[in-house]
Amino acid sequence: MDIALEAVQLGKRYGRRWALQGCSFRLPAGGIVGLVGPNGAGKSTLLHLAVGLLRPDAGDVRVFGRSPYDDPAVLPDIGFVAQDTPLYRDFTAAELVQLGGRMNARWDAALARERLGQLGIPPKLPVGKLSGGQRAQVALALALAKRPRLLLLDEPVASLDPLARREFLQSLMGSVTDSGTTVLLSSHLLADLERACDHLLVLRASRVRLAGAVDDLVATHRQLVGPRHDGEPIAGVGAVVRARHTERQSTLLARVDGVVDPDWTVHDVTLEDVILAYLGDGETDTTRTDWEVPA
Amino acid sequence: MMWLTWRQHRRQVLVTGAALLVLAALMVPTGLMTRNAYADKGLAECVGVLTSAQSTPDRAEACNRALHQFSDQFGSLSMLGVLFLVLPLVVGLFWGAPLVAREVEQGTHRFAWTQGVSRRRWALVKFGFVAVVTTVVAVVYGLGMSWWAAPLTQAAEQSRFDVFFFDMQGAVPIGYTLFAVALGVCAGVFWPRMMSAMAVTLGGFVGLRIVLTVLARPHYLPQETRTFPIAGATADLSASFGDWIVEKGIRDASGTMVLSGAQANCPPDASEPGGATCRPLVEFGDGAYNWQLYQPADRFWLFQAIETGIFVALAALLLYLAARRIRRVA
Repeated sequence: MDIALEAVQLGKRYGRRWALQGCSFRLPAGGIVGLVGPNGAGKSTLLHLAVGLLRPDAGDVRVFGRSPYDDPAVLPDIGFVAQDTPLYRDFTAAELVQLGGRMNARWDAALARERLGQLGIPPKLPVGKLSGGQRAQVALALALAKRPRLLLLDEPVASLDPLARREFLQSLMGSVTDSGTTVLLSSHLLADLERACDHLLVLRASRVRLAGAVDDLVATHRQLVGPRHDGEPIAGVGAVVRARHTERQSTLLARVDGVVDPDWTVHDVTLEDVILAYLGDGETDTTRTDWEVPA
Repeated sequence: MMWLTWRQHRRQVLVTGAALLVLAALMVPTGLMTRNAYADKGLAECVGVLTSAQSTPDRAEACNRALHQFSDQFGSLSMLGVLFLVLPLVVGLFWGAPLVAREVEQGTHRFAWTQGVSRRRWALVKFGFVAVVTTVVAVVYGLGMSWWAAPLTQAAEQSRFDVFFFDMQGAVPIGYTLFAVALGVCAGVFWPRMMSAMAVTLGGFVGLRIVLTVLARPHYLPQETRTFPIAGATADLSASFGDWIVEKGIRDASGTMVLSGAQANCPPDASEPGGATCRPLVEFGDGAYNWQLYQPADRFWLFQAIETGIFVALAALLLYLAARRIRRVA
């Protein structure tokens, strides 16, 4: 299978702090991949590394087998919409479409115009005067007009209201399913991701915690309720992701790999449960010590 | 890329052009006025008279009076020239510093640098465009100032070498402007915030200008020494007209400096009108003489070229550093 994006022990450091560390994964071409993580987990850093804005301090990132920082020739294959969808605010949408044509060898101006026309974006108004949602749509249209093989979107829906968010994701899904474009989309809005994504990549505290197809993740994780549990292995459970205990009872979210010990009651989980379990897993010790509070 | 560059900066180009027009509206009429007055009073001839050794005292007297009159009338205009000393800095602050810093501050570099154009090419086109525009601007005001300031400098019996007069005309404004712009661009790449880039530009430009003017400029070429007797010094003092006197003083017969920063002049026969011996000759003793360390007036354009060269070379270096470093900006 074609690999759209691959990271091997990828790391990026700002001063002495690692924003991303030991990050390894492979994204197969095709499909929409959700990049999840709390603020500051390294999502933007990962996307900036993937589009060549940043140089890796460790490891390697490859887009269709090429390193985007060292090889700008891969840029035409990557569409990128940065966080807060920065655009030249004094340019009109029509001028931005024209600009894209000037700066890209492969450019589908008709596609951009058609999308913007459908969405009712005024062509002659500076984009700084558009609403946040409209601006996000302009940015997306520009990214799509590059006809990229990999589309990277950094929190594209963060500034949108729920309705606009749904429309945005729908139009995104509509436009990439036909073209075979791979989309990597970061967000902390779990419900949106569940609706839109085929694959998930969970980052927390600068490391990859989980990667996999959404269906598999839901299928392989279960919530188990049973007697108080002190960490001994349970039949049929591959790994306990998160455990909560009361006096006499434990609730576990676990990855299961067989028939679970009948002492435990097994419940299905939603994708959100799984993600939250991985995100909540453990605490960052460093901040506690930094704040001089007991761990 | 060229389209983007022009579209992004066209308003700035227009504003700059308008500002030049406003300046021209101020400078051309005043320039014509001083030049006409200068010609009407026959001052160009006067300057010739004063610098030649054969002028009669009467003629020189009349000329001096005319020149002083002209200076009194128009001398305050040279304050306008101060405007032109800060102009390169202003261009650097508004053309250089925001070039990269504003893109990064507004996040638009993430848009521009992820299109199909490599960052290096983006930098080359942008830097090139700004360099060309600012060179044109600097040529216009540098040469315009030479034209404007010429009568004032001559009438004030000042050397074109004098600080301010040297710095505001000829080729050096081009060097200063390119340097200020390159410094702004480079600062914006290393400290990609508008305020910090502008602050670095301001500090760096003023600092380097002062240091070079005070410490380096007098030594671009070996200085020459001129000595002449105190008695009948008028002719020699006139001969030094237009030279850049770096140091002067009076030395006694043994060559020891007895008074620095001054010159003395006695009539050729060394006597005061009353018949007594001229005072300086009494004061400094027999054999005392005037001493000057100077750069000859005809080195003006050479010095302009040297100073311009230094600043253009620094500008090129800064742009090179910026182009290298820009790949590390995120």
